[in-house]
Amino acid sequence: MIRGVRCLLPVVLLATGACFATREDVQALHADVQTLRADNARSDSARRASLDRVVASLNIVRDSLGLLSNRVVKMQGDVRGDLYNVGQQLLQIQELTGQSQQRVQELRASLEAKQSDIASTSVSASPAGMSAPTGSASSPSGSPRAGAATPAPSAGAGATPGPNQLFQISLEQLRRGSPGAARTGLQTLLAQYPTSDLVPDAQFYLGEAYKQEGNAAGADSAYAAVVSGYPTSPRAPTALYKRALGMEEKGNVTGARGLLNDLVQRYPRSDEASLAKERLRTLK
Amino acid sequence: MIIVPERITRASHGSTRALVAFAIALLLAPLITRDARGQDTTHAVRIGLTYQPGTKPGVIVLAIRGAWGDSLQAIIARDLDYGDRVEVIGLPGTPAASSLAGIGPGVSYPLWKSLNAAAAVQTTVTPSGLHVAVHDVTGRKIVQVADFPLPLAGGSGEWRLAVHGISDEIEQWITGTRGVAQTRILFVRGGRVYVVDTDGFGERLVSDAGLSLSPAWAPDGLTISYSVLGSRGWSIVTRSVAGGAGRTLPSTTSGLNTTPAFSPNGLTLAYSHGDEAGTDLMLVDLAGGGPRRITVGHGSDNTSPEFSPDGRKIAFTSGRAGHPEVYIMDVDGSNVELLTPFNFGDRNYRSNPDWAPDAQHVAFQSQIGGAFQIMVISLRDRSVKQITSEGVNEDPAWAPDARHVVFTSSRTGVRQLFILDSESGRARQLTHAGGARLAAWSHSLGHAR
Repeated sequence: MIRGVRCLLPVVLLATGACFATREDVQALHADVQTLRADNARSDSARRASLDRVVASLNIVRDSLGLLSNRVVKMQGDVRGDLYNVGQQLLQIQELTGQSQQRVQELRASLEAKQSDIASTSVSASPAGMSAPTGSASSPSGSPRAGAATPAPSAGAGATPGPNQLFQISLEQLRRGSPGAARTGLQTLLAQYPTSDLVPDAQFYLGEAYKQEGNAAGADSAYAAVVSGYPTSPRAPTALYKRALGMEEKGNVTGARGLLNDLVQRYPRSDEASLAKERLRTLK
Repeated sequence: MIIVPERITRASHGSTRALVAFAIALLLAPLITRDARGQDTTHAVRIGLTYQPGTKPGVIVLAIRGAWGDSLQAIIARDLDYGDRVEVIGLPGTPAASSLAGIGPGVSYPLWKSLNAAAAVQTTVTPSGLHVAVHDVTGRKIVQVADFPLPLAGGSGEWRLAVHGISDEIEQWITGTRGVAQTRILFVRGGRVYVVDTDGFGERLVSDAGLSLSPAWAPDGLTISYSVLGSRGWSIVTRSVAGGAGRTLPSTTSGLNTTPAFSPNGLTLAYSHGDEAGTDLMLVDLAGGGPRRITVGHGSDNTSPEFSPDGRKIAFTSGRAGHPEVYIMDVDGSNVELLTPFNFGDRNYRSNPDWAPDAQHVAFQSQIGGAFQIMVISLRDRSVKQITSEGVNEDPAWAPDARHVVFTSSRTGVRQLFILDSESGRARQLTHAGGARLAAWSHSLGHAR
């Protein structure tokens, strides 16, 4: 028994002695823990500072991007607005150009009237007179080809009205509801001044005069002359459209459809082409 | 040296002579026509007096005895006065009134002469209507006599319209030009359409419940049209001015359909149709058939169509140049032409055209210094004349005489309708309850009682 206890004693002593650390061990361990904690705290702080810097940088970048985006949006808006304004100004210029052309036309007519007055005064003052223009005074068809060889008379051709004056007076007659007088004036213009830049307009309004007179065939012929003779004139799509409407009025739907298709193909960007497309959809 | 054969030279001289003759004829044509028009344009029987240019002949409307006598005298005198072609002597409140009251309906050429009267209107009530005689004061004789039937219901709207017709006839006898008293004016107040006589009497509601705008007369004087706000947008309604149910145009049941205008033959209606693609003008046959687009606005707004008197052209407002301006075009939608002049960069705009019955002028509203004024443009030389200046003045509409214009004015502080004589500049207030606007003047209603 005793011998058994003696055998176990070293084991017990060994076991219990191993469970107790010395004070130094504990202090060392505590110092180690403190050091570890301080290291961790420093590391966390550094990481936090780093993260803060990153976040701050990201905020700065985000703000910059936001500002940039706003500037881009504003610029886009400005550009869009500017483009719109430019477009509107172009439209205004276009309208005003037409207005100015009309004014120039009236001034030319007025100038020609004055020249005619001066010329007629000179003729009456000098019996010898001046040479008269040659060529036919009028053409039944009103075709611009008729009398094409006739040169435009100069200011010295007596009291002969010039092309602008003739055009202006004829247009006034048309507006006043005197298509016969207008037609005569326009035919005279076409015969006497076949090279005038007013010829396409005169030819077009000749069609209008015929139409007002109720002469559908004459109107169709005059409009056709605009399209064939002056295909690049702004009057050409209008004349073609009016030809098509004339055909439709006569009951010639096939002919009208053909002319409307022709209009859409040849002048796709004209207003008349838009109208023609809708007309084609409803034409029966 | 150029040798010209004699035959050609003669031909060319003949040609020149013909050309010169044509030119002179063309140049003189307007003057000749104007002169002829000044002499006689109405096939009227004038009393043959010679009036000084710019002066108005004095006319006395004698007292009328019998049923409704005072009303008859007041209506005829007022109609002649509002016609602005004669000077009515003896209107209530004038010194001549008491002098004339002394003699009543009796004839007194010396007294009339002393009052500077050129003509006197003597009216007698008959069992069937009125017997009217017009005296030439200088010639001391009766120069025109006629009997006019009147509806039995004295004081009714029909009776008043008939009396206005007699006034117009008297004006034609005296001046050679028929008056416009026998017409009526449509207008909008508080979103409802009303009709009123040209002397401001007989106002009555003609539209149903629901917000209504932009009324227009048919040429027959019996039918009207206007736009009505419904659950699916603005639609166009036509109806009899006398009453009854309205008829909605089938093509206008959805979208923004406004500003209807009848063609002069009454068979076609033009109106503006708006959707997300912009607002364009449409033309529809009233007998049936689908609408036809007649403007290509490319997203801009095209509104307020008005036919020319011959029905060949349409004046309208378009924003195609960036801001509203007045344009004219052929009725088929082609040949579009800017009518109202403007300068580059001009922020003011012009709109709401109305074509004068003489076919020579178009009235429109123009922004001047931020306020609208009524302008008239001549289609002959494109000259523009401003005819209003007091307050804000909008929405002009011509009378059948192409001389008077009805418009909305704020000169009294609230919107009211005024009638202006475009020749003399004399204006008178037509409506007296606030908020009246968008007037439309009928054709002569002589046949539309």
